[in-house]
Amino acid sequence: MPTPAFSSRKPLSAALRMLFLAATLSVSAAHADDYADVSRLMRASQYAEALAKADQYLASKPRDPQMRFMKGVIQTETGKANEAIATFTQITQDYPELPEPYNNMAVLYAGQSQFDKARAALEMAIRTNPSYATAHENLGDVYARLASQAYGKALQLDGSNAGVQPKLALIRTLFSADTKAPPKPAAVPAPAPAPAPAAAKPTPAVEAAPAAASPAPAAAKPAPAASPVTGNGTEKQVEAAVRAWADAWAAKDMNAYLGSYGQSFEPPGKQARKGWEEDRRARIVGKSRISVKLSNLAIGVQDSKATAKFKQDYSADSLNISSRKTLDLARVGERWVIVREYTGS
Amino acid sequence: MKRAATALFFIAPCLVLAVPSARAESSSRAKARAQVQIPAAEQRPAANRRAGQREVRDGEAEARLIEVYRLIGQANGREALRKAESLVTDHPNFQLAQLVYGDLLVGQTRPVRTLGDVPDTTAKAAAPQLAELRQESQLRLLALRERPPAGTVPSQFLALSPRNRHAIAVDTSRSRLYLFENTTAGLKLLADYYISVGKSGIEKSAEGDLRTPLGVYFITSNLNPRSLKDFYGSGALPINYPNQLDMKRGKTGRGIWLHGTPSAQFSRAPLATDGCVALANPDLERIIKTVEIRSTPVVIAQSLKWVAPQSLKADIKSFDDVLQGWHSAKSSGDAARLSAWYAADFTSYGGKTLTEWTPALQTELKQLGGRNIEMKDVSYLRWTDSHDTMVVTFGELVKGAKTGRNKRQYWSRQGSQWKIFFEGVV
Repeated sequence: MPTPAFSSRKPLSAALRMLFLAATLSVSAAHADDYADVSRLMRASQYAEALAKADQYLASKPRDPQMRFMKGVIQTETGKANEAIATFTQITQDYPELPEPYNNMAVLYAGQSQFDKARAALEMAIRTNPSYATAHENLGDVYARLASQAYGKALQLDGSNAGVQPKLALIRTLFSADTKAPPKPAAVPAPAPAPAPAAAKPTPAVEAAPAAASPAPAAAKPAPAASPVTGNGTEKQVEAAVRAWADAWAAKDMNAYLGSYGQSFEPPGKQARKGWEEDRRARIVGKSRISVKLSNLAIGVQDSKATAKFKQDYSADSLNISSRKTLDLARVGERWVIVREYTGS
Repeated sequence: MKRAATALFFIAPCLVLAVPSARAESSSRAKARAQVQIPAAEQRPAANRRAGQREVRDGEAEARLIEVYRLIGQANGREALRKAESLVTDHPNFQLAQLVYGDLLVGQTRPVRTLGDVPDTTAKAAAPQLAELRQESQLRLLALRERPPAGTVPSQFLALSPRNRHAIAVDTSRSRLYLFENTTAGLKLLADYYISVGKSGIEKSAEGDLRTPLGVYFITSNLNPRSLKDFYGSGALPINYPNQLDMKRGKTGRGIWLHGTPSAQFSRAPLATDGCVALANPDLERIIKTVEIRSTPVVIAQSLKWVAPQSLKADIKSFDDVLQGWHSAKSSGDAARLSAWYAADFTSYGGKTLTEWTPALQTELKQLGGRNIEMKDVSYLRWTDSHDTMVVTFGELVKGAKTGRNKRQYWSRQGSQWKIFFEGVV
């Protein structure tokens, strides 16, 4: 993992964080439908309606972090960057322990080429939660971008400021499984039940949100236990599939990489498959060099399902991230395809 | 698993978020600043900008860079990054600082292997610039690591007079300029600065050779910065290259200045000029504010020899005796005895040879009419290369007269004999 720039402050312990979430969010349990409605409208790109609904909700619950967060995402999606920054900033003031609003502020600042501010916000995100993978990756991109700017100025290279913008991952919902935070308290409603992504019929309105390099689904289903070995041959097939996936990623072979994911793959953050694919493309094709190394690979197979757990050493250009990764795979015909991808163990 | 031929189609690197117009951004910047909690390091330079152009102390930027190096040496990358960021915010045109800042940012995500650990493509595309910045870094460090021993002075400043209130010495091997104050207790080092010299190095001999001359010179004027192009930075102090020794040796060229740096560059590469000595603007400004025109000597040497002032005493005494010999010959009014002090290849202004110049000397002696002359404010600057040269400057006052003239002589040593090969009023 990259060294967090601010590591002095201790992260909230997992237990504390859970208590905090339960305390701040239990009140909204009765309003699960409201979250779901806003979330559905957002997915349908009906932002005006989503905003109206969010504002209506916030009129009675002005401090509610989840709905304010969603409002910030709506403002972001509708190009109201400064309003979105204000919304996320206010959430950080009321709930300084949450890394997600800082992350999204950083995305907005980076979009404005204010990389110093983006960096400051991401460092705050990591200070609040040192294991926050998305912020780490975003910060890696921002550092790389800042370094490239500094090198450009050092060497007086022409057009050093006209380079490719880093593509930072916007967090679409609070309390996703992206962090190593404990699972959501029961009181917290899921943003919305995800409609099964239909890869065959991609949504025409492409959602603009990118995925983190290590996407993680919002709600984790219990993975098949990685214990009984059903045969060396099957395990080898699964391992081959996992290694082919990593090789395709490193080779920036997008057809092979995206083909490693099955049709039933659930993109993280309730993203549409097409939007997720485009984000992955933008993130992968833009890198000049990618290396993905797998180690401590443990494979469990049960019937037509398999789980691969491993340590993933990812490095791209100037960024290095080591993390635990879990892939759920399913057998489709003769192939093993990825149906879930989690970060963390 | 590879199913189709790989067709990598170009995806425009789309931004996640719509980018608002720059105008909209700047109008809301003050607001955003108030809202967003930004670390202190970010705020300070902003405060400076608001306060207008803060005056930068000479040598300050280098001292801050060295502090960053020190922190890196202590493996305190976080503090180093913070200080480097603040340095490049104050001096965005300080290329070496930007390089180090880039390295510290890269160091946040992977180990840095070398100074200027840029991507390979950049290293190839900008190889000369990268090499120059590494050299600049090395030279700055060398000059700071190996300091002149306390109390020592460059041996060229054999004896300065009270009129030489300041003195400048340049060590080209270190890319360093040393600024001295001449106090009653001797030469005191005030400051020293990184400098750039000619693209082709040193030992200028011909016009356009892109070399910096070596020798003992004097500052001749202070050019109005408003009359100068941005390229020369905050001012220029021309020196008297070619001096009498240079001309005797047939050296050509002109317009050798100490000058500043263009606004795009805080400092320039070690070998960068057409022969001038270039300094960072804050450093040059301090020199301009400090030194006097005409009476400030500038020694430019490949490598300065630092000596204890006491060790020069014997040489001073020995040359005092030589000069006393010339003085008594002149006071005697005996033209033949006096002309024995002048070298066969003597010249004066306008290329006058000894034969052409002797009548003037005789006229001068007649006017003296046996009156004694007094020598005031005598200074010796010694330049030793393949020959031994003494540049002697003094005020010449005829006994009883209220005013005198400032004279300069260039002496050359042949064995143990010193002879004058130039004399003129300055």
